[in-house]
Amino acid sequence: MGVVMAVDIGGTFTDLVLFDPRLMSMQFVKRPTTYDDFGKAIVQCIEAIDVEMGDVLHVKHGTTLVINALLQRRGAKLALVTTAGFRDVLEIGRGNRMKPFDLRFRRDPPLISREFRFEVDERMSASGEVLHALDMGQLEDIADRLQAHDIDAVAISFLHAYKNPAHEQAARDFLSARLPGCYICAGSDLSREWHEYERTATAAANAFVGPAVTGYVRRLDKTLADHDFEGSLILMGSHGGVISQERACAEPIALVESGPVGGCIGAAAFGRRLGLESLICFDMGGTTAKCALIHDGEYDVETTYYVGGEATGFPIRGNVVDILEVGVGGGSIAFLGDDGRLNVGPKSAGSSPGPICYDRGGTEPSVTDANLVLSRINPAGFLNGDMPLNLRRAREGVNETFGGYFTEGPDDIHTIAAAGILELANLTMATAIKQISIARGHDPRDFALFCIGGGGPLHGVDLARELHIPKVIIPPEPGNFSAIGMLMADAKIVSSRTDVMVLDDAALPRIHALFCELEDKTRASLQTEFGGQECLLERQLEVRYQGQKHVMKIALQPDDTSKMLFARFETAYRRRYGHNHQNSKIEAVSLISTGWSEIKKPQLETLVAEPVEVQKALRRSVYSLSARQHVDAAVYDRYALPVGFSASGPALIEEYGSTTFVGERDTFQIGHFGEIEIECHL
Amino acid sequence: MNVISDMDMFTLDPITVEVIRRRLVAIADGVDLNVSRTAFSPYIYEYKDYAVAIVDAEGALICQCTGGIPIFVADVMSAAVRDGLEIYADEGIERGDVIITNYSGTLGQHLNNVAMYTPIFSETTIIGFMVVVMHWVDVGGKQIGSISLDATEIFQEGIQFRSVKLHRRGIRVEDIYRIIQYNTRLPTSVMGDIESQVGGCLMGRDEVEGLIARYGVSIYRRAIQAIWTNSETAVRKAIAAIPDGEYRAETFLDNDGLTSDEPLRLAVRVIIAGDEFTLDLSGVAPQAISPINSGVSGGGQTVARLGFRYLLVPDGDVNEGTFRPLRLVLPPGTLVSADDKAPMGSYNVPLPSLVDLIIKALTAVLPDRTAAGHFGTFSTLSITGKRDKSSALFQCHDSGFGGWGALSDADGPGPFRTMCHGDTRLIPIEVQEATYPLIIEEFGLRQDSGGAGKHRGGLGLKRVYKALGPCTARTRFDRTKFPPWGLNGGHSGAPGSVEVHASTGGKTDGLRGNLMLKEGDRLVVCTGGGGGFGDPAQRDRGAVRNDVERGYVSEEAARDVYGFTRS
Repeated sequence: MGVVMAVDIGGTFTDLVLFDPRLMSMQFVKRPTTYDDFGKAIVQCIEAIDVEMGDVLHVKHGTTLVINALLQRRGAKLALVTTAGFRDVLEIGRGNRMKPFDLRFRRDPPLISREFRFEVDERMSASGEVLHALDMGQLEDIADRLQAHDIDAVAISFLHAYKNPAHEQAARDFLSARLPGCYICAGSDLSREWHEYERTATAAANAFVGPAVTGYVRRLDKTLADHDFEGSLILMGSHGGVISQERACAEPIALVESGPVGGCIGAAAFGRRLGLESLICFDMGGTTAKCALIHDGEYDVETTYYVGGEATGFPIRGNVVDILEVGVGGGSIAFLGDDGRLNVGPKSAGSSPGPICYDRGGTEPSVTDANLVLSRINPAGFLNGDMPLNLRRAREGVNETFGGYFTEGPDDIHTIAAAGILELANLTMATAIKQISIARGHDPRDFALFCIGGGGPLHGVDLARELHIPKVIIPPEPGNFSAIGMLMADAKIVSSRTDVMVLDDAALPRIHALFCELEDKTRASLQTEFGGQECLLERQLEVRYQGQKHVMKIALQPDDTSKMLFARFETAYRRRYGHNHQNSKIEAVSLISTGWSEIKKPQLETLVAEPVEVQKALRRSVYSLSARQHVDAAVYDRYALPVGFSASGPALIEEYGSTTFVGERDTFQIGHFGEIEIECHL
Repeated sequence: MNVISDMDMFTLDPITVEVIRRRLVAIADGVDLNVSRTAFSPYIYEYKDYAVAIVDAEGALICQCTGGIPIFVADVMSAAVRDGLEIYADEGIERGDVIITNYSGTLGQHLNNVAMYTPIFSETTIIGFMVVVMHWVDVGGKQIGSISLDATEIFQEGIQFRSVKLHRRGIRVEDIYRIIQYNTRLPTSVMGDIESQVGGCLMGRDEVEGLIARYGVSIYRRAIQAIWTNSETAVRKAIAAIPDGEYRAETFLDNDGLTSDEPLRLAVRVIIAGDEFTLDLSGVAPQAISPINSGVSGGGQTVARLGFRYLLVPDGDVNEGTFRPLRLVLPPGTLVSADDKAPMGSYNVPLPSLVDLIIKALTAVLPDRTAAGHFGTFSTLSITGKRDKSSALFQCHDSGFGGWGALSDADGPGPFRTMCHGDTRLIPIEVQEATYPLIIEEFGLRQDSGGAGKHRGGLGLKRVYKALGPCTARTRFDRTKFPPWGLNGGHSGAPGSVEVHASTGGKTDGLRGNLMLKEGDRLVVCTGGGGGFGDPAQRDRGAVRNDVERGYVSEEAARDVYGFTRS
């Protein structure tokens, strides 16, 4: 027993990683994702590896099902029940236009159109007192109408339910009894924080995907059971921990970023073991690049997430690892727009037809083609030589697209053009990293850049130079790192409460009492859902200067005085905004309680493979963006580099599914856990 | 070997040009991030009431930060630099100098908007300037915040600095700092914000100088020329596609808000000739006694550039090249070309309607790129009072979000704020009720407020506040006598309204001014809807049915205006 499996279903591939603690070994397998039935690819993966399913304790699963259903608007026939006078909250949103000069700007339509938004007389005050009792007669009528419309999911959201959920709970219980088989959820069961639009949108999104997720999880569980699996299927939550099947069915919205969090969890685990205080996790795949900050082995968690992007999408209240995604990846296409400007992405060649060099009919040059043209990728070594790349076609493609724009014809137009493509791709990615670091009050120079995904290791040092980051780290198996990260995830439950109060010593007993209440519930849930392990608990407060709108998160320890909290807040505030306010009081806005329960996981040492026999490094002429010309680089096989090996750039380190570039002024060494550690010099 | 090191080439390849352009935008955006991170007052870090620009040695716009509010698209930044170049023609401008100006004769906006810039050098030559313009929360004047409803001269609205050096060769000029500090009611905020503004200018300067060092002055200059030429070519192509001719539109503001109830004329004339776009604002009413005036740069130019962008460059960034084909005809002495003595506190009052008129004027020839009128007024509302006698004054700012005009192929969007706004957000009701002694009894789309049409105008909002204690509501609504227009047979949108319903019975209107509310009184605020597009009789019957089912349109209006009855 004790074997743990992680399954990451991505757009192109389904990855499976297996950890066996008795042998201290890991196995990896990839199969094309099967869109008709995701379970098929999982079964194919299971059949391809050496495992006794009866020995498997947990299957951890990350899925993009929820986000795809929301983006494609494929979900339940849905209705909303809300406070009389406020059915338009969901449609009006916050009224902001993020594209200021566009007469056609509008947000994506709400998930529930107006005729399916039902109002009921009830009202709570801001302090949670009942101003108007819930009208059960009206609710009865609404139930009839919901039935008549064949509604299969209902979201309930009332004003101030974060403060007093009694009416929401009564309505939820009543409708559940009245409408058996209908998926029903109340906003206050998902979030106990204020802001009615965000909470209503969350309830609507949750109900929208509820029936589909419930069906999917149950089917997958059965498929696994049919293959002799007796352990528990658990799901990757967007908050960076795993959650039980039951919780996933009740709160499917907690899976919204279930897919991409694996990389962050793995990066955090590495950061802790390497003793690195601050990391930027940078994951570059085929169509997008993602970045996230990690401090002291913890990733940042945001409480608002936008489905479909902040500009036109809708918000979700929850706890989602703070990941910023930009539309640049290996498959991103470079083209000259009507305005004569060079663009890279967000249009992507994807896996089909793919970049020109894949020889599958692609005709527009992509980032991967540019890397190939500049000899940064070995055409014969891609995926261990399983997939030869066509360098000649890639070069011709770049020449055809851009050759006409050079007034004079140097013979290496393709070099200049390809270098420009990479520079622009890097600028877009660097801007994303600035947004998650500088905009949040952090200096990228204090961080190490942790690069994963197929493209991360190839672009790492150039991004680091752009951002003045001194150190780049490439973990082993960067191409499989998301699934490996999932193996590292513990069970986690986050609950929060909005309760605005002046943060003085008198408030502390009340705050701690509220935390005890939240923690009792969390502890009980973790025990029921994951068994009797020890439960770790953490308290945080969202605090602000009185009278201001924006809040900062600070940790709360049991014996903190209000003076200590004030100092902690001022430090965090100064870091973020560069100053403090004189003579200001602070107030607590929300309490956030996090509970963890440990799940068996691999040691990072397991990832270090025995080096294969050492070969003499080859050499190749490779284009360097910092030198702005070709340089003579050493080419290493990563699997041949032992722990402790060190050398100077320029160099390429090749492995299955990825290549690391080291610049001409950089040095690198192989660390204790098999990671490549590059010292970057400007 | 490398084409970009070939100094004899006249033009640069588009790839190098784009890399340099993107690096410049990244510098402006980086300064933006840093200003918003280090500024002191919420005006800056939450409402983003500032903008960042890089201009050349003559003040011509190279690029602007991507965020920020639209009203700063104007050439106020270039105007500020040009004034400084004139003033310091003899003394000269040296590295490390930081110059500020808010002079109404140059910027032409309320005195809170202060432009600050520093020169960018390559060796001993000025290559350009890094500019940050920012709203200072108080610059003196008769009212806190420096914006009153009743100022009649600019001198009642605060202190003016016409192109003065805040830093000289990298050294702070303490005399100027002292003058600023003792002419504001909120010195901590203002002095704090100035630090972030100076920091932004210097940081941007260093980064642009680094960029120039990397590529060389010659390539940098040629890249800028190419960036301008590309933008100019693209926009000229778009103008040339518009049939030549003269296009006009007009509407009226309700009144000056202070001394008279006479409507004030707003009129635009657009002349398209080949690939040139001329805007004639000679028909705009003379400057007013009340503070709804602006100068040529802050008013007329702002309007011209905003309208031009909505019509021709809705996406992407703009620069000197974008605006080369745009000419402005504007005699002095109008609401948007007022003299330097005119009060300008509420300079923005006529602007959204003027922008909208430029769009309207071109509807005949660009129906697919224009829209019917939007609600067109800032719809200012602030409620102030005390929870009880001993507590501090509360201030609830809740200005209006209204409907936008229908398009030739779609219903109007909204509710949003005006065409002069962008990323400005509504305050959640749960926050308002927890913060102010108010209960909001209703908050929703206003039935029948969108102008009828083949495509319906966007709906306005209706909101009902109940006062839990005595308080004062200050309002400034406009465009009620001449509501948001429809186009091509579309009907106009419903104008906004403000009413007090006293708990003792009786109603009072209150579009402009101070309204006293007693405990239990209700304030009913409706914002305007957008105009419709096309004949309502031609509206798709399924769409009318949906509108009725959803309650956007009443059954009566469906019958009377759309000729629709449920079968």
